[in-house]
Amino acid sequence: MHLKYESTLREPLVDGVKDYHQVTEDIISPIEGKPGTLWYVGFFISLALLGFGAFSVFWQIYFGVGVWNLNKTIGWGWDITNFVWWVGIGHAGTLISAILLLFRQGWRTGVNRAAEAMTIFAVMCAGQFPIIHMGRVWMAFFILPYPNTRGPVWVNFNSPLLWDVFAISTYFTVSLLFWYSGLLPDFASVRDRAKTKLRKLLYGIAAFGWTGSTKHWQRHEALSLVLAGLATPLVLSVHTIVSFDFATSVIPGWHTTIFPPYFVAGAIFSGFAMVQTLLIITRKILKLEEYITLGHMEAMNKVIVLTGSVVGCAYLTELFMAWYGANPYEFATFFKYRAAGPLGWSYWIMMTCNVITPQVFWFRKMRRSVAVTFVMSIIVNIGMWFERFVIICTSLYRDYLPSSWSYYRPSWPEVGFYMGTFGLFFTCYFLFAKYFPVIALAEIKSILKTSGENFKEKMVVYEEESAEKFAHDVAHAH
Amino acid sequence: MEQKKYWKGLEELHNTDAHQEIVKNEFSEELPFESEGLLNATTPRRDFLKYLGFTTAAAAIAASCETPVKKAIPYVNKPEEITPGVANYYASSYAIDGEYVPVVVKTREGRPIKLEGNTLSSITQGSTSAKVQGAVLSLYDTARLRFPSIAGSETTWAELDKQVGAALAGLGGAPVVLLSSTVLSPTTKKVIGEFLAKYPNSRHVVYDAVSYAGMLQANESSYGKRVIPSYHFENAKVVVGLGADFLGTWLNPVEYARQFAQTRKINAQKPEMSKLFQFESTMSLTGANADERYTHRPSETGAIALALLAAVGGSVTAPAIADKRVADGIQKAAKALKENNGKALVVSGSNDVNVQIIVNAINNAIGANGTTIDFASPSNYRQGSDADMAKLVSDMNAGSIGAVLVYGVNPAYDYFDAKQFAAGLGKVKLAVSFNERADETTELCKYVAPDHHFLEAWNDAEGRTGYYSFGQPTILPLFKTRAIQDSLLTWTGNTTPWADYLKNEWVAKLGGQEGWDKVLQDGIVEPATAPALGGASFSGDVAGAAAKINSAKKGGKLELVLYEKVAIGSGKLANNPWLQEMPDPITRATWGNYACISNKLAKTFSTQLGDDYEINAEKKVLKIKSNGKEIELPLLIVPGIHPDVIAIAVGYGRSEKTGRAAGGVGVNAYPFVSFNGQTFDYFTTDASADATGAKEIVASTQTHNSYEGRPIVKETTLEEFIKNPKEVNEDRLELKKFGPDFRKDGTLYPNYSYPGIKWGMSIDLNTCFGCGACTIACQAENNVSVVGREEVAKGHEMHWIRIDRYFSGDDENPEVVFQPMLCQHCDNAPCENVCPVGATNHSSEGINQMAYNRCIGTRYCANNCPYKVRRLNWRDWNGADSFENNLYDVADMNDNLTRMVLNPDVVVRSRGVMEKCSFCVQRLQEAKLDAKKAGHPLKDGAAKTACQQACGADAIVFGNINDKNSEIYKIRNEQQVDRMYYVLEETHVLPSISYLAKIRNKDAAPKAEKETAHKEEAHHA
Repeated sequence: MHLKYESTLREPLVDGVKDYHQVTEDIISPIEGKPGTLWYVGFFISLALLGFGAFSVFWQIYFGVGVWNLNKTIGWGWDITNFVWWVGIGHAGTLISAILLLFRQGWRTGVNRAAEAMTIFAVMCAGQFPIIHMGRVWMAFFILPYPNTRGPVWVNFNSPLLWDVFAISTYFTVSLLFWYSGLLPDFASVRDRAKTKLRKLLYGIAAFGWTGSTKHWQRHEALSLVLAGLATPLVLSVHTIVSFDFATSVIPGWHTTIFPPYFVAGAIFSGFAMVQTLLIITRKILKLEEYITLGHMEAMNKVIVLTGSVVGCAYLTELFMAWYGANPYEFATFFKYRAAGPLGWSYWIMMTCNVITPQVFWFRKMRRSVAVTFVMSIIVNIGMWFERFVIICTSLYRDYLPSSWSYYRPSWPEVGFYMGTFGLFFTCYFLFAKYFPVIALAEIKSILKTSGENFKEKMVVYEEESAEKFAHDVAHAH
Repeated sequence: MEQKKYWKGLEELHNTDAHQEIVKNEFSEELPFESEGLLNATTPRRDFLKYLGFTTAAAAIAASCETPVKKAIPYVNKPEEITPGVANYYASSYAIDGEYVPVVVKTREGRPIKLEGNTLSSITQGSTSAKVQGAVLSLYDTARLRFPSIAGSETTWAELDKQVGAALAGLGGAPVVLLSSTVLSPTTKKVIGEFLAKYPNSRHVVYDAVSYAGMLQANESSYGKRVIPSYHFENAKVVVGLGADFLGTWLNPVEYARQFAQTRKINAQKPEMSKLFQFESTMSLTGANADERYTHRPSETGAIALALLAAVGGSVTAPAIADKRVADGIQKAAKALKENNGKALVVSGSNDVNVQIIVNAINNAIGANGTTIDFASPSNYRQGSDADMAKLVSDMNAGSIGAVLVYGVNPAYDYFDAKQFAAGLGKVKLAVSFNERADETTELCKYVAPDHHFLEAWNDAEGRTGYYSFGQPTILPLFKTRAIQDSLLTWTGNTTPWADYLKNEWVAKLGGQEGWDKVLQDGIVEPATAPALGGASFSGDVAGAAAKINSAKKGGKLELVLYEKVAIGSGKLANNPWLQEMPDPITRATWGNYACISNKLAKTFSTQLGDDYEINAEKKVLKIKSNGKEIELPLLIVPGIHPDVIAIAVGYGRSEKTGRAAGGVGVNAYPFVSFNGQTFDYFTTDASADATGAKEIVASTQTHNSYEGRPIVKETTLEEFIKNPKEVNEDRLELKKFGPDFRKDGTLYPNYSYPGIKWGMSIDLNTCFGCGACTIACQAENNVSVVGREEVAKGHEMHWIRIDRYFSGDDENPEVVFQPMLCQHCDNAPCENVCPVGATNHSSEGINQMAYNRCIGTRYCANNCPYKVRRLNWRDWNGADSFENNLYDVADMNDNLTRMVLNPDVVVRSRGVMEKCSFCVQRLQEAKLDAKKAGHPLKDGAAKTACQQACGADAIVFGNINDKNSEIYKIRNEQQVDRMYYVLEETHVLPSISYLAKIRNKDAAPKAEKETAHKEEAHHA
């Protein structure tokens, strides 16, 4: 159905003819039914990965970090690469939920729930690495500034690793609160529809006694705004602080002031790519194409091409500064051992995946192609993984004294640990998809009035009127 | 006087009834605790707390577990001289394989834990080598024989004596042979003599695995004395080495390196130094330190010597040297030798009599005799005779030998025809081994009478004629071993114990007990005034030797050279995990031998220096054939080796019974040795090599060879240094832009001024020869873990001090520089601020310290260390974590026996903890406390780090830089202002270690050429 005066730019946020009940049915009925075979297959593969990861971690903790292939020169490899990668992925969720909320971007409602869930799970995965990578993980509590009888021995507030502890834990807490507070009305909907006692009980507990009273809604809105206000600076600060792990050091290739904005852009870049990967699968499997529309994908692809270009700019700026800065060590790091040298291949994978291929999104057709978007989202995530690998390893493996130059290949427990976090992530995500409303039910209903086919139907009355009558009525309205 | 009564109140004055009542009753108020039941109390809170306190205390006492005392120092009555925690020192001597190093043994609670050089010895002056530093670990070697045995089963000494005595008596006049390596002990020789005198036709055969018989024979024919002269490198302005690695392995390198270092110390006030030419086939430690170095094939060794003789004016016709560079080098060396007549020296590592005669002729021509070569007090470092050994083997096989007593040699492993030796030994009626381990030869002997380790035994040693050093037990024998001298004395029928025998001998020589006591205290006896150097008249058959050299067969396509590694030597110390893991100074490889080849030769096996070669520890395995023997070894590309030469280290490929560290590591290269009728040749002139297709790990600690033109190493030539001493440090002027004091002006942050002590170290790149003694000294002092080949290959080695070796120039004739690298104790340390838990921090004396207990192992500090000197305990090397069965120990380093070597002053680090050089903080603390007790400020030199003490060249100077009288202060501020620099100074990490730029005594490269080379390397400036 087409209207006479239909905007070609503002496409509907929800496709199809939907009323409130239909939306509730679409989103909650998967929770109430049995999951499909694909769900089981995916869930058990994830569980298996998680198990293998747990074994790899056990192996490493039992026999020591020496089972990894890190060495005297390269103290961080896959561990911290994966850490930064997972943290970065989390960023899209916060950006979508917090910043887009503040900017009143209606389209966020279709994707924010899943994106926030992704944030939580990604940060959970990320948190594993800096803990497990320690030589003495059982002493990990030393990094917390707690009162103690050892003098007291205090933590070192100069260390970016300590800042990480605060940054990541704050980020996780705020993201979790934000996500959960958004879930309350939706849990209440599930509770209210529940036909079994157990479901009623569990979702009842989860819903915190939500009744849908005006006061509840008012407080809910207020809390959302407060949390959005808190989370917005976090989007910028978390990855800024992660970048300090490198930027405050003396190692050429790490010691760079461009890192904070560069890392934030990269994080959003990879985060949106991950959201795309997940949502393309989710909308397909849970048949939510009408809620997660091509419009959503296009919007996110625009963000991807923007942040990808920002990152590309940062890469070129780094190269320029390495030359212009006239520091021979930095020059060698960038031009001899990063863009070339034994690990040079990783730099070119990064460049190809992050800077060159995302340029396809300058074309509308590409932005709106599900297949291209899916492939690109994978490519971007590979590229962003390599970006962190390049920063960490190609800086370390050839630093100041050539006598210590080394090389690095991961060992099986390192790969296993990474796969394990995929296991953790997808196990959580599969459980989320099964037991939680994957689309923010309450929020999407709020945009139904201004979007979609049923909105158009309401417009028919006015479309059939003549313009003169409409003008006359308006002029003589009481 | 009337007692006045004071009243306290009106009540008392009037003494009312009420008052009397009050006085009777002490407590005027009712206490609720007593009057009411607990539960009804009006204030139960207090009582609750009382009960709580009581019950908690009672429960705590009742439940408190007994803390088990695992080990205690088992003194019922404390020996007078032992105070737990205070070290005792005893003088002793290291005399293995003829090397002579007087030492002082540090013992703690009765356990020897460290060897230091004996500074009273005028020969070594307190120097040591890696082998000496490692020898203390061999005392606690788990593979040592623990009891006497007959035919493999344990026996008593009485039974052994009975049976051996019977066997000796039953020989029926067949000769008895005592087969030993070089024996430096004059009294032991006397005991041997007395023993052999009992048996007719018996003889003492001296066999050195790595022989110098060619030299001994040449000296006999040239000078009429079968001796090795004493060399005085300190008197030489020009030294020419013909394949003699006198800084690494030749004769007594500890002595020579120290002498040579004296001629390499240089500053702007006295800009002069000796010049070293080296002609060799493989890259030796000496070659690496040479000012001019030339390579040749081993078959050309004689020709080079002849050409040099001709060039210094000898009347010989030298064969033409095809390689123009080498030919020019000979002329250049000859010119330098002639110009420095009487201040020059030529030494040769050849074991060929004729070559050594020619060398003698050269030394005669350049006035070395009596100036740099001393025949008046010759050295005893090697006494072996190859011909005697060869004759013994043939006699044994002929069945004409009655008994062979093996003492300190292992021909079944290191004799070139080991099979023949083993077969011969089988034909001998009586075979006795005194060796301390079940080595290849001991396995073949029926009677095994294991000798003490030298730290358990009495001994003396005469390194140079008239210069003695002594050995005394520093610990009760750990096992049921017996000194060989005691065994021989018993079998001679002499009932005097060896300890008394030795003592009587010396009491008689020294004229009394007091003299002997002083000897044990000092450890040495030397002439009161050093005797004048004496020459010897040369009467060698130069023409004959020249003729033989000229008729020597020419080499084939490839030639093979056997060499000794600095750490392993002939292989006697092969089961020493410290020495196995010590990176070779040149190749930086550990654990095993390999085929050293040039890059050019490697290309024929489709491998070459470059990224691929560097990043893969697995190297192609070559099958090397020569003289009908073949072995397979991984190749290793060594810049500076002659393109047609393969060099293989001896001392590897030991049997499993030799010990866990040595067994199965590397391949035995001794079978390539050949006997030329007079002496052993340690090269073959026709070898072939083929790639097998297999690959094997070579565990190197350094894979990149070049310092990429970075100003971390600074060097210049002598000529340029004389012209402008400041030039070498020109780039430091850049830092002046920040202000007069870069330390203060190069930062926005406040500066800490270090009142009191501020420790600092200076390392002279000119006198560091790269020998690695410091590495092992540090390992012994600081309980540094051994990790094994696989872990070294993974880059997990633990050494706190390493010696970076860089090549520069082209790979056929490279220049080499050694740079000891250890924690720089930066005052603005990048490691310190990144540690999240503050486990690494700075002391008020400028030491970057580690709190191991606090470390959680994030490795951020190691990443952020620009010098890459921090070492994580990647695995449980020491059993010091609380996980069961995860110990990673490839070399029995955690046996209760081996652990006796641990220094109790230094904690053993657990798995997952970062560690690094501590500037030997335990020694500094001890020195400070001693000074405090003595009531004076710390004196310069009272606190020495282990690396500094081990360094024979005194390349490392350490001290308090706030003390204006200290050596370190003088070096930095007075003597070496021009050469002194800090590595990576521009990063403003403020290292506490300064380096002195290397000066090469070579012709200055043309300026333009140097600059392009620099640009090419640095890329950018």
